[in-house]
Amino acid sequence: MSAAFEMMKLTFLELWSRWVTVGLFVASSLVWILLSFTLNLDIVEGSLTGVRILGQDAGVPRERVETASGEAVQQFVTLNMFVSQIQSFVAGVAYWAAAFLGLFAAAPLLPGMLSRGQSDLLFSKPVPRLALLGGHLLGVFLVVLTLATYLYGMIWLVMILKTDLVAGRMYGSILVVVVMFMAMYSVVALLSVTTESSALSLIVTYGLIIASVSFLFRDTLELQINRPWRGVYVGLYHVLPNFAETTKIAAGFAGEDPIGSWYPLISTCLFALVMYVAAAWRLSVRDL
Amino acid sequence: MSALLEADALSKTYRTAFRRRDVKALDSFSLSVDTGEIFGLLGPNGAGKTTFVKIVLGLVKPTSGSASIDGTTVSDWRSRRQVGYLPENHRFPDYLTARQMLRHYGRLSAGQSSNRDIDRLLDRVGMLRWADTPIRKFSKGMMQRTGIAHALANNPKLIFLDEPTDGVDPVGRREIRELLTSLRHEGKTIFLNSHILSELELVCSRIAILNRGKLVTEGRLDELLQKQTVYAVTSTRIPEQLLDRLSDVQPAPVRASGRGERPDSELSHYEIHVSSRAHLNVVLDQLRREHVEIESIIRNTDSLEELFVRAVDSDGSSQEGIAR
Ligand SMILES: Nc1ncnc2c1ncn2[C@@H]1O[C@H](COP(=O)(O)OP(=O)(O)O)[C@@H](O)[C@H]1O
Ligand SMILES: [Mg+2]
Repeated sequence: MSAAFEMMKLTFLELWSRWVTVGLFVASSLVWILLSFTLNLDIVEGSLTGVRILGQDAGVPRERVETASGEAVQQFVTLNMFVSQIQSFVAGVAYWAAAFLGLFAAAPLLPGMLSRGQSDLLFSKPVPRLALLGGHLLGVFLVVLTLATYLYGMIWLVMILKTDLVAGRMYGSILVVVVMFMAMYSVVALLSVTTESSALSLIVTYGLIIASVSFLFRDTLELQINRPWRGVYVGLYHVLPNFAETTKIAAGFAGEDPIGSWYPLISTCLFALVMYVAAAWRLSVRDL
Repeated sequence: MSALLEADALSKTYRTAFRRRDVKALDSFSLSVDTGEIFGLLGPNGAGKTTFVKIVLGLVKPTSGSASIDGTTVSDWRSRRQVGYLPENHRFPDYLTARQMLRHYGRLSAGQSSNRDIDRLLDRVGMLRWADTPIRKFSKGMMQRTGIAHALANNPKLIFLDEPTDGVDPVGRREIRELLTSLRHEGKTIFLNSHILSELELVCSRIAILNRGKLVTEGRLDELLQKQTVYAVTSTRIPEQLLDRLSDVQPAPVRASGRGERPDSELSHYEIHVSSRAHLNVVLDQLRREHVEIESIIRNTDSLEELFVRAVDSDGSSQEGIAR
């Protein structure tokens, strides 16, 4: 157990020794600092009467609503909605930033561990191979958790300080981002353990992410695909991870919207589980 | 009592997935090393030395055969609890300093290690001055020394060193040799891999020669050298039937040497392969009785080097009594 913990620390240290990770941290800082300096809200008795960005009046955000009689009218958004929209937006953007940059930062680590010269050092220790893999994964996840908590937490704080309003369930978004990262990293783990190529594992993972974007438009796409292939497409939808659809869940947590369907999250987790089991098996039987 | 390290008929065939060429790196290799020995495994590049060590450390799965350390089979990670290992071409995370590396890697093998222990280790390999320098700034020789310190971090009973003096300057080599000797005095067992004979000759109590995955010969150093004593004899021609008769004593102790002879000369060149001086004189007596006149006898100062070269040249067949 202590060996796995040590491996986790080593992974954590190694990630922070890379400029991508530090860059992610700096970028997150920029986001919340900019937000806190540029955004000025005029709040009178708890409702939003003006928004100024960099001192310029941006007008009061309005939304179209339909009245009971069916007429469409413009109405001021409530403060609560405004805050949750901003948070949802940031949560969505951060989700993709974490996915692409986080994967980019972490992908070379496992192939490095398995490369000649390092694998001999690590895997000759009196430690089960899977404990080392587990420690490595925990280290990577811990870095992602740290970054996500930092960015989301700061945004949340800034919004609370500016509005006195506690909107959204940021812990939920953090959790979804980390879980989705774990799912994406499962592909990296399996491919790294089999091929030791960080380039290949990144390409395939990014490919799966792009494929998952097409699943966003499943309803329309499905109708345009011819019969035998339609089944294949629907099958892929269920088998492959649904990274893109899960963005909605992360954003939903950050704002006040109810969460529509948990299915994308659950099916993606199942996919990841299979990947990790395969990676663990492959690592335990292969030569190093 | 069973040996500390025991390998039984280990074979390893590497299969490369795309190229359909299998490499038989180890072929039915058996070996045992007792506590307190400095054992040297000698062989040219590609002989399979690293493969053997990797199997014993559980890094590579043998195609067949089995091995154990202190009675525990090597497929069980617990067999490595009392083991230190310096891999060839090792690469530590280079953003760490020597001290940080020893702390983290030490914990992987031994649980806790105090700052004092780490300083002592670094001092032992002459690296204390560089304790807080990032490994990325180290030269090859400094890396080797740091690697040896790392192999000792868990105070192991059995230490595997794969080409430990690789890239180390002559002074460093001598220091490493002295370190090995002092480790032996502490009762540690050391397993050395090398393709350089002189590295093993000076420190090992026992060696094995490996070539193309097969054990060529194995034994105590003095025995191996003695087995190989060769006398170069120049004499009048030895009758064929006498040569045959001498072969009965020991397989072909007297052979025509490969040296070319001038056709007009009445003298011939022979090699006498014997295990002792007494045996040499028995052979000489027989030659004299048959009126062979001896011009000269030269004792070949047969070094391990020659033994090695012969062993490798003959490619696996028994080297005893082989004339060049
Ligand atoms: N991972 C591997 N895949 C395929 N062939 C390998 C692998 N490792 C070693 N070999 C081959 O096995 C043989 C023995 O290699 P090795 O054990 O490294 O020899 P040595 O350490 O004595 O130089 C060599 O022919 C080498 O090319
Ligand atoms: Mg080698």
